[in-house]
Amino acid sequence: MDAVFRFALRLSGSKDLAEDLVQETFLRAYRSWDQYVPGTRCKSWLFTICRNVFLRQVERGKRHDEIVAENVEQGSAPFDVVNPVWVASVDVDPEGDFFGSIVDEEVLRRVRELPEEYRTAVVLSDLEGFSYQEIAEMTDVPVGTVKSRLFRGRRILQKALYEYALTMGYISPSGGGT
Amino acid sequence: MSFVDWFRKRLGGAGNGGSPSGDDGDSHGCESIPCMDALSKVHEYLDGELEGVSQEEVRRHFEICKKCYPHLKLEERFREVMLRVGAEEKAPDHLRLQVLELLAAESEKGG
Repeated sequence: MDAVFRFALRLSGSKDLAEDLVQETFLRAYRSWDQYVPGTRCKSWLFTICRNVFLRQVERGKRHDEIVAENVEQGSAPFDVVNPVWVASVDVDPEGDFFGSIVDEEVLRRVRELPEEYRTAVVLSDLEGFSYQEIAEMTDVPVGTVKSRLFRGRRILQKALYEYALTMGYISPSGGGT
Repeated sequence: MSFVDWFRKRLGGAGNGGSPSGDDGDSHGCESIPCMDALSKVHEYLDGELEGVSQEEVRRHFEICKKCYPHLKLEERFREVMLRVGAEEKAPDHLRLQVLELLAAESEKGG
């Protein structure tokens, strides 16, 4: 239950919402226990239910045009192979030591601010250690989409953390610019 | 990719001193895969999910390429922080009780 609670917390960003999500997740799991395939990871199955419950709650609270606008915004702007955060910090902190100075709460706040698709991929991979294939199955998208979401999500997160580190003076501007 | 590009790639960028942010296919004279190939696969490498190239080939590139090495370190530092924040966080005790009660009630409903 701890893992499901953590996942719900990362998805929703609020302890109250996370508790509701966990309750609903276990209730649905109980009702659909016959659909669980023995031998598969129970954690993946519970996470899939949890995310579906979360997405339904989010969509209920949104107008259709907001969802469309969000998806378009997340589109496919090209990303450089070379990490822009590295380019920006190369003169003062080329190995990214500044990441280690940022407190957990600020990191989690930036995770919560990611668009849902990226947030889910990053949380499942970087915080929970699921494989690309497992994430693809849990989120019902091809492995290539998982890779793309992880790439973009991590870049957005790294940029946000870099900017926070600049603001807090953990790192000095190197003049490289992002 | 044109034949010339392909050929340059085969040469491994020998004889040109570009940077990771510059010439595609450059490996800075290192006898390994080109920088752009290594950099574009840094996430898959750290995730242990490489396809078409071995962990060893990519590891070797980062080990011997001074220009690409910091990129890898930056990604590693980021992963370390993510693992740190993802560490143990327990569900509150009252939530465990609520879930148990909920399931018990559901079980009774089902007969």
